Amino acid sequence: MKLILSTSNIMSGGPSVIRRPTFEKSNTELTSSLRENFAVHQRAPTPSANGTSAPSKPSFREWTTQQDDTLYIPSHATSPLSEPRESYDITVKLFYLPNIPADRRCLQTREAINLVLQELGTTSIDLLIVSFPGITFDADDEDSDLDDPVTPPSVPTSTDDASLDAESVPEDMETIITTWHTLEKLYEEKIVSKLGIAEFGVQRLNKLLPNTKVRPTVDQINVRDCCVVPKPLILYAKQEGIELLTHNDCTNVLPRGTLREILGSGEKGVGVLAGEGNNKGLKGDVEPQWVVKYTAVVKDRGVVESKGYFAVAELNKEQVHGARR
Amino acid sequence: MGLLAIGTPLEWPEAKKVASHVRSWGIEQLLAIWRNAKGKERDALLWGDEVEYLVVCYDDEHHKVRLSLRQADILQALATDEKLLRQGGGVPDLQRGAAKELDTAPVFHPEFGRFMLEATPGKPWGIGFKDLLDVEPNMKWRRKIAKDHMAKTEYPITLTTFPRLGTQDCTVPSFPVSGPKLRSQFVPDEIANPHIRFPTLAANIRARRGRKVEINVPVFRDEKTPWPFKDPSVNYNLHQWPEDDDVRNGAAKENHIYMDAMAFGMGSCCLQITFQAKNIEEGRKMYDQLSPLGPILLALTAATPVYKGFLADTDVRWNQISRAVDDRTPEELGEKPLKNDRWRLPKSRYASNSTYISQDSRLRKEYLDPNLVIDTDLKQRLLDGGMDDLLATHFAHLFIRDPIVVFAEDLKELDLQKADHFENLQSTNWQHMRFKPPPPGSDTGWRVEFRPMEIQITDFENAAFSIFIVLITRAILSFDLNFYIPIARVSENMETAHARDAVSTEKFWFRKNPFSSRSVRSTPNGTSSATPSNSRPPSPFGPVEDEYTQMSINEVVNGQTDSGFPGLIPLVESYLNSMNVDVETRCELARYLDLIRKRADGTYWTTAKWIREFVRGHKRYMMDSVVDDVITYDLVQAAERITREEGRDGFGWELFGKR
Repeated sequence: MKLILSTSNIMSGGPSVIRRPTFEKSNTELTSSLRENFAVHQRAPTPSANGTSAPSKPSFREWTTQQDDTLYIPSHATSPLSEPRESYDITVKLFYLPNIPADRRCLQTREAINLVLQELGTTSIDLLIVSFPGITFDADDEDSDLDDPVTPPSVPTSTDDASLDAESVPEDMETIITTWHTLEKLYEEKIVSKLGIAEFGVQRLNKLLPNTKVRPTVDQINVRDCCVVPKPLILYAKQEGIELLTHNDCTNVLPRGTLREILGSGEKGVGVLAGEGNNKGLKGDVEPQWVVKYTAVVKDRGVVESKGYFAVAELNKEQVHGARR
Repeated sequence: MGLLAIGTPLEWPEAKKVASHVRSWGIEQLLAIWRNAKGKERDALLWGDEVEYLVVCYDDEHHKVRLSLRQADILQALATDEKLLRQGGGVPDLQRGAAKELDTAPVFHPEFGRFMLEATPGKPWGIGFKDLLDVEPNMKWRRKIAKDHMAKTEYPITLTTFPRLGTQDCTVPSFPVSGPKLRSQFVPDEIANPHIRFPTLAANIRARRGRKVEINVPVFRDEKTPWPFKDPSVNYNLHQWPEDDDVRNGAAKENHIYMDAMAFGMGSCCLQITFQAKNIEEGRKMYDQLSPLGPILLALTAATPVYKGFLADTDVRWNQISRAVDDRTPEELGEKPLKNDRWRLPKSRYASNSTYISQDSRLRKEYLDPNLVIDTDLKQRLLDGGMDDLLATHFAHLFIRDPIVVFAEDLKELDLQKADHFENLQSTNWQHMRFKPPPPGSDTGWRVEFRPMEIQITDFENAAFSIFIVLITRAILSFDLNFYIPIARVSENMETAHARDAVSTEKFWFRKNPFSSRSVRSTPNGTSSATPSNSRPPSPFGPVEDEYTQMSINEVVNGQTDSGFPGLIPLVESYLNSMNVDVETRCELARYLDLIRKRADGTYWTTAKWIREFVRGHKRYMMDSVVDDVITYDLVQAAERITREEGRDGFGWELFGKR
């Protein structure tokens, strides 16, 4: 079964958009806005009461929708943009997750873009940025740009957000190039006007550019590093016509464990997955597939009208829940 | 300042007779504007900043600095500079060139004080982040142009007030005090811009009031300040004008610095920002949401610790300006029973604002002032004209005042294509927010002006505060933030902001949670969501008092710990994280936000604190609150040096850190 998790528009969502310290790259925005959106939908239909939380969690069937083999968590209604399309700058960032073969990326990319287009009620996006697993640029570490797997990542003793990126090895260039050709098709079909990548240093750009028909025009660098971007990268980007933009996302934005916790039956979970005391939940093993973030900004007013995420996971029924622990 | 119409101004008794006439025509003009522009939609964000300068003149030989009264000459020079005109600059009131596509030169404006100059960008700014980076260089350009059109000994400085305004021999050229218009015993009539509007404004405020304006600022009690303090500069033996009796009737209060003219207030320099909203409703929302931020930004930009040669016990200019243009009569002030006047008025026409105006479901009636004074007849006229209650109330409140400067020529015929009568009232209500309807016949949209900030010594700081406010408005609109607290609490905060070092010592009322609770939403086009059963009734409101609490400036700006108020800077950062910002821009913006962050947490000093400590550390200072000529000369030179070096030479590092 496919699980489609959504946050809806998080701009008025409140605390989930704020995190401290703000220069810390993290996936808190995604996880907390998912949780918040779930919570809103969980309490929404409760007819009984005064708004205080019900003693037990409602069954996930009440606030999710299943269509064929797809479960929408929560039930989802699109929220189209309110002004004409040309008023907006729409940026979409697609996070490819680890351990997904390149051929599946092609389909996933289409799927992600379609979800966003439907959500915003439009047919094109201005900028599509893709983030590949395991690739992080570190201005303090000149070698971070090399293909070699990063040797001992700085001892992740805790499981907090900061160490999430250490989870996977960098995507190999061949997969990246194969995936890029998918993006080029979207460009050719005029669904996407500009392409971008995230966290690429000079070395990787050098390998990617000769293999592209449609070149990236944007390279997103972590905001923490924005004042210390190495000169060579600045010069290279300028020379190649690539704009260096800032972001503060982490690369592995939705680790399996995090997703399992959010959907699970534990204290912090919403009870979609079966677990102790919840045998009505879905059984199986969740495997995050991709995450997409979309942002629609009213161009000449600088107002973010809509921002949100979709995350898609496969629920593998063959495997009994817990087997991978 | 604008509105420099030429004509025959009525003296007060005559102006008073036509006050109702002007008001009613003003209301008709307002209705015409409102009808015409209420449907205006999708205007871009355009914004502008206004920087005001004092023009000082050094007398190096005598180690003295005075205010230069050559405003007219300087403006003339600016208006006739061919190169400047070709670049689109100049003086709009006199002459300016056509705006350019790129790099339009800044423009200059007269101000109330004849020692003042105002400069604005030649074209409004947009929201492009590159525009934001142009602000500081543009401010520097303005200062350079201003300086280039001054005499060698003159310099434009951005101190809020001249420390020795109102002391003997403080202007060049020098004029005798006690003139017919101001009747001040401290400053000559020539201190004001000679355009007939300004002396008339000052004279009619005095006449309406029935005595001179009365500004008493608590003096800073230093180790050797004589106590009780009796302002030694007050002359009790003047007998030129009836108003000279004021001081004999107790106008000068003990332990206060006493001042008696509009120039002491309207001669202050501020940093004002005006925003164009996408439509009237967004303008009304911005007006409301920025209002509670006013006192916070006033305290954060505090820069006014000296008046008339004495250290004051307050740090900001606000109340002094308020009193400097307070035209209320003894009856309106509540000193005498109401007989001839219509009502008691709790505030000067220069004051924190008293209304919220947004048609926002989050605006609870408890936030409004239950005792708001309004002109009910004029409100009815607005309602009859189709205006909604909130907005009608707002304007009916502004229109409780009398027009001060009325030109006889303007009373012959009502011209609904103009806004002169409306603006007469609107622009002499100096509140900390101003809601500005589009000028008739222009393409300009609904605008909101943010007015509380004090000018800072360097263009870096002025740019930082301007950009900070711009980014906050974007965060407000993007996150749909809610800063509402009862308007009376905002007024209270305005008073709190005056305290010496309020940034680090005082607490301000502020809303705890700026976010609206999230509910399952319907789509913007009005159709309900695909799961209609999910629509939830709005959560019931709790008591208003539970919504806000007292916070330090640091908490408001940088956030409370745990789950409290997230902080204005984190909100702005969060907004920026949602935008595509290039690395260079983000890095520049980080410098500005860092300044605000550290001013708020006390790492860096406010300008007021820096000036106070500069005075107290000066070798000539006798610990008696007196700021003499030599200290003033050194202080102004220091300000000039800081403007130039911005702390890079290590001087003034308390303001910005080591750079």
